[in-house]
Amino acid sequence: MSVPDTDLLGNPLSELEQEVARVHASLEALVRRPDLPPCVASGARHALAATWQVMNDLDLPCSQPEDV
Amino acid sequence: MTSDYWNPKNETLPRADLERLQVAKLKRLVAFASERSDFHRRKLTESGVTAETVSSLDDLRRIPFTTRDEWMDAQSEQPMFGNLLARPREEAIRYHLTSGTSGRNPLRVLDSRKDWQWISECWAYGFWAAGVRPTDTVFFAFSYGSFIGFWGAHYCCERLGSLVIPSGNMTTDMRVRQIADMDVTTVCATPTYALRLAQAASEQGIDLPGSSVDKVIVSGEPAGSIPETKALIERQWGAKCFDTAGMTELGTICMFECSHQPGGMHVIDDHYIEEVINPETGDPVGYGKRGERVVTSFGRGMIPVLRYKTRDLVVKVPHDTCSCGRTFDVYEGGIQGRVDDMLLIRGTNVYPRAIESIVRSFDSIDEFQILVETVNNVDELTVRVEMKPDSGISFADICGELQEDLKEHHEMLRMNVAEAEHGSLPRFELKAKRVADNRRTKA
Repeated sequence: MSVPDTDLLGNPLSELEQEVARVHASLEALVRRPDLPPCVASGARHALAATWQVMNDLDLPCSQPEDV
Repeated sequence: MTSDYWNPKNETLPRADLERLQVAKLKRLVAFASERSDFHRRKLTESGVTAETVSSLDDLRRIPFTTRDEWMDAQSEQPMFGNLLARPREEAIRYHLTSGTSGRNPLRVLDSRKDWQWISECWAYGFWAAGVRPTDTVFFAFSYGSFIGFWGAHYCCERLGSLVIPSGNMTTDMRVRQIADMDVTTVCATPTYALRLAQAASEQGIDLPGSSVDKVIVSGEPAGSIPETKALIERQWGAKCFDTAGMTELGTICMFECSHQPGGMHVIDDHYIEEVINPETGDPVGYGKRGERVVTSFGRGMIPVLRYKTRDLVVKVPHDTCSCGRTFDVYEGGIQGRVDDMLLIRGTNVYPRAIESIVRSFDSIDEFQILVETVNNVDELTVRVEMKPDSGISFADICGELQEDLKEHHEMLRMNVAEAEHGSLPRFELKAKRVADNRRTKA
């Protein structure tokens, strides 16, 4: 859920990468909430899968969205 | 959070708030359509409607109707999509079409990435209400072709997290086997095709009522809300049958049947405004009165839809007709027919839906067709039926009763009934066309 300091190669994150990581972490936190109505839970999980792919493309470490 | 409602906030919103929400969305839609779509800008300008002048649902009636003919004409004048598009073609990610009336071009639609999110969202209202959950295995028995059909429902189920099984390239027999082999819990098909699948299962010795399937979700034909057809599907599958209805012009469904099954479908009132009008005068008709549905859609961005005359006949009743707690109004009996599908036979109005409801009350009938011809200058209607080969009941056993039932329900109009050889009548995967009106063909 925390924003990583470096990418998988150990490089510090650029400003763009930091922003992507923050958005992804924020979605992760949202998905973990137990009080989401079905439409919100489903939409947030959908979005989390999309931001996971952006994290993956940028070599940013993150957990599997299915494990959240 | 567990909930019987997909969107508990809006599905239980008090009616007054729901109407305020519709007005707020309508203002946004009018502003968007005026700014982005040449087609709507011209019509709204001519009628003097701007977002600023919309303050209540009564203002909706100042917006001119949109008809399918106008849409088709716009496409013909400015191929391929007419001047309806509110966003550049480059923003679209998918193209679909639906067949036009005879001899005309198809109606073509484009949808953006966001539109497809909305399309699947509307389906989710219906699938959640029918009890589909992430643990379900959902089988889509349709061809995945250029017709928009169940595409949105497929995405809806992926969104829900259900296991989706597409079957675009399968034969009917292959589909039935896979439904049994994969422990499918939910099957999506047209009502006609759901019956065809059941017939194929019976021929293969597959026990559908003993299978894992507990929900059959139908769409694409009014038959899903004909009680006799629904009951037949439920008996043959040993599952609950839930109806939904939408149209290519909207890209998705606009009504669904909830688990309380009140004998009709809830309108998705937070994504649409559904009016019911007298098709002749255009005047609104109240609750409980039959009329034509006119739809305004808040979701589709590529092609805004304002006051589209659907030609569907409906009867709207208040939300509290259903005990499920939703505040969405209900179309009693679903889509009750089409404004233009009434047959006039020797002075009597005959609706194919009414014939279907009678035919489907005979368990031994497998398939049927309504044949209309002119014989010696007199209109003759013949209901041709195929008997189930394994029912143990012959055509001679039911012929008289069927003919009497048809007559009694049609002002004593005489109709012919005839047996067709088993397997000789057409079968349909998508929209069934059971009326062969040879009078029109010859005209």
